[in-house]
Amino acid sequence: MAISTITIGFLVALATLLFSVPVAVTLAAAGLIGGLAMIGAPMVQSLGSVVWGVQNENSLTAIPLFILLGELLLRTGLADRMYGSLAAWVGRLPGGLMHTNIASCALFAATCGSSVATSATIGTVALPTMRERGYPMGPTLGSLAAGGTLGILIPPSVAMLVYGSITNNSVGKLFIAGVIPGILLSLLFMAWIMLDSLRRNGTARAEQPIPLAEKIRQSRHLLPPFAIFGVVMGSIYAGIATPTESAALGVLMALVLAAMAGSMSWKALNHAFRNTASLTGMIALIIAAAFILNVTLNALDVPQMLSRAVTSIGVTPTTFILLLIVFYVILGMFLEVLSMQVTTIPIVYPIAMALGIDPIWFGVFIVLMSEIALITPPVGMNLYVVQGVRTDGGPIGDVISGIWPYVIMLILFTLLMWFVPEIVTWLPEKMS
Amino acid sequence: MFIALSLIVVGETVARKLFSFSLQGADELGGYILAVGSGLAFTIAFVERAHIRIDLIQALLPATARALLDWVSVVSMAALALLLAYVGWLVVDETIEFRSNAPTPWATPLIYPQGIWYATLVIFALVALAAAVRATWMLLRGRSAQMVAEFGPKSAQDELAAELEDLNKR
Amino acid sequence: QVQKLRVAGNLLATGLILQHKEQPFFENLSKISGLNVEVDYKPMDALGIKDTEGLRTLRSGLFDIVSLRLAQVSRDEPFVLGLDLVGLNPDYETTRKVLAAYREPFDKRLQDRFKAKLLALWPFGPQVLFCKPEIKGLADLKGLKVRVYDQSLAKFIEQLGGIPVTLAFGETQQALQRGVVDCAITGASSANSAGWPEVTEYFMPIGFQAAIQAYAINLDTWNKMTPDQQQKLTAAFGKLEQDIFDYSKELFDDALRCNVGKEPCTTVKKYAMKEVPVSPADQALVRDAVGKVSFPAWAEVCEKSYKGCGDVWKAALGGIAGVK
Ligand code: NA
Ligand code: NA
Repeated sequence: MAISTITIGFLVALATLLFSVPVAVTLAAAGLIGGLAMIGAPMVQSLGSVVWGVQNENSLTAIPLFILLGELLLRTGLADRMYGSLAAWVGRLPGGLMHTNIASCALFAATCGSSVATSATIGTVALPTMRERGYPMGPTLGSLAAGGTLGILIPPSVAMLVYGSITNNSVGKLFIAGVIPGILLSLLFMAWIMLDSLRRNGTARAEQPIPLAEKIRQSRHLLPPFAIFGVVMGSIYAGIATPTESAALGVLMALVLAAMAGSMSWKALNHAFRNTASLTGMIALIIAAAFILNVTLNALDVPQMLSRAVTSIGVTPTTFILLLIVFYVILGMFLEVLSMQVTTIPIVYPIAMALGIDPIWFGVFIVLMSEIALITPPVGMNLYVVQGVRTDGGPIGDVISGIWPYVIMLILFTLLMWFVPEIVTWLPEKMS
Repeated sequence: MFIALSLIVVGETVARKLFSFSLQGADELGGYILAVGSGLAFTIAFVERAHIRIDLIQALLPATARALLDWVSVVSMAALALLLAYVGWLVVDETIEFRSNAPTPWATPLIYPQGIWYATLVIFALVALAAAVRATWMLLRGRSAQMVAEFGPKSAQDELAAELEDLNKR
Repeated sequence: QVQKLRVAGNLLATGLILQHKEQPFFENLSKISGLNVEVDYKPMDALGIKDTEGLRTLRSGLFDIVSLRLAQVSRDEPFVLGLDLVGLNPDYETTRKVLAAYREPFDKRLQDRFKAKLLALWPFGPQVLFCKPEIKGLADLKGLKVRVYDQSLAKFIEQLGGIPVTLAFGETQQALQRGVVDCAITGASSANSAGWPEVTEYFMPIGFQAAIQAYAINLDTWNKMTPDQQQKLTAAFGKLEQDIFDYSKELFDDALRCNVGKEPCTTVKKYAMKEVPVSPADQALVRDAVGKVSFPAWAEVCEKSYKGCGDVWKAALGGIAGVK
């Protein structure tokens, strides 16, 4: 089979996706049609085993548990109280509450994987105050949308679980690998906010000083997220627990903490469970469909062929990564992130391995590309979420104008990571 | 169900760590719970319209075309659900024929977990099929507005409205 | 004309035997066998298919030739594991006899139930014991947590008073390091490659099982071949079987030396583990396990799907194992 056939197939599938056919259907159909054409009836016979294999895969048990953990923190109000506490600490920096946005998103990201919920919650709490105090709209909305993307980089991360399951890499190592880039990227975002505020001179804002005693009193709301993050990541890092086990520990802790804070109601629990089930169903169906496609792609030798083609024309790893950045930035404009991951990872991963790129590093790279996809128009989930929570009725152009610095920072940070890979690999290597 | 899963996993971790005692096969049980739980979740996500669609272009089209795409979406999802139920049956049928047992110390007869898993796929297929029939009826009657309302993509706006409503209640 | 063969190989992580024997064999099959074939060979996990599905994919015709991991595919056919019961294969000499004696009933069962024909059988080699705490013999396993990988081995460890823990191979090194298990059992060479000697101190080269693998071909594919072609293919696999058998023994002997820091050590990394000598009493304990534990437990499971399989086993292997 020629590369041109593959390209045509890929474009047809992309067009189908863009015409609103459910992602899972498109992937499964591509796998089924390709498989039937090249292999015939035995392909169908084997599909059941593939689907059972995915749904029965123990390592994927962590996905619903981590979603549930985030949902519990959100629905029981543990998350929104965090914002006020952080505002007390970082509001004094030039850029004021915008730092709080980033810090809250980062901390919330440390317990949850969903960027929609992160941006929506923090946005709702932050926007009314910030508008009242005259913060410029573009940068404010930008900081909220971009801050939300930290959710998939700072562990736990559903994106990393998906990458780990498709490529058979240790999820524990991927999680640990996300910690330093997550912190550095948060700091980079905050440094930019500070610079940008100073540059705007007149609008450089800082909040009123707050007495230390008040700061400390406020900080009690920071304990639950810190405690949960500490236990979840600590147990993985120390090697006491697998990601699934640590997720289960986190869920129980969240339940206990919420009960202690008196914020647990049947209604909140019910809501959390329903959302978890719904998200799990969506993700599991897409992964099952992606594995169906994967069997066909591999049976047809597609990844191997592409990887031979790429290595034979003498592409260096650096060129490859640069090309991938361009590829993902463009693709990410039009595709939703999970769809983007499951369609591209099976193809680009073997090439990256053939070029000798570290598999854990590459996982973090894919996550950064997904973060960009979350905030690039026209299809960028976080943009719409942030636009939706604002109450001033301004155009979505405000959000988009505020987002470019973050897209550029994400790209620059990816490049930095390529030339200094230790940012990613140092911590997981210390682990074993 | 997910709480039960957490309890089992935590119980096993703690037991293994503290009492050097092993609940043989918590992993195995976790895998079965995931298979059944995620199978049920297919239907829940379908009912809540949570299965991802990319409605970028659809949003720009006139109402009739939008309704047509919604119909395609529902019918194709039903086709996928039927396919899953069919291939699921092939697996279960072989499991019965071979009297397969899990290759683990428990040697669980596979038909128990796979039988329940298969039931979840059948539920998904039936629910999706019913929706497809309803959508086809709407299409034939030309009820575009109702189609978009019932089967249209759940936009970021809808999701957000739900989030905000929830936030205000807290 | 050219015949196309789709081949699902052993797992990627299989290491040296896959790299040096299996993969080159399939990639050069037309040259080796003199058949006009074009082989599309891939390790099974690279295709996204689980190793437990081996027999089903063989029967459905998704692949023409499949590398069967017997411990895993025993899910669908417990009979195949009859040649790897705990205690049945203490060393390579015995394994050679066991394979020869079991080949025919094994092949018959594959043909009757899975539309497949057996092409070759080979062992990864004796599955040996690695421990962190000091042990002097099998009696010291009492109260220790031991990583096992199947039911038969779990039963045996229980009988010794140990606590069997099932863990995937990939998780075991870390589990040893953090004390989730005290001891673990696997092949001498693969344990070395996975770094087990870094986290354990005592090494006991006693063979519990032999980790036997098989190659089988879909019967439709087989029947399409002329008798001459069939004979060429059989001859090629016969040679491969011999070849892997010798290489497996070479790797095992080398790993025995490497693990305890002896020379020559050429295939894996050199460590300085303490060797626990295998006493005649322990040897007898393992050998007797066939009749006492592993055969009865296995036969009970096997009889459910294959009436009379206990008698078939006894007819083939009863003499070698000393089970009446
Ligand atoms: Na996260
Ligand atoms: Na985008």
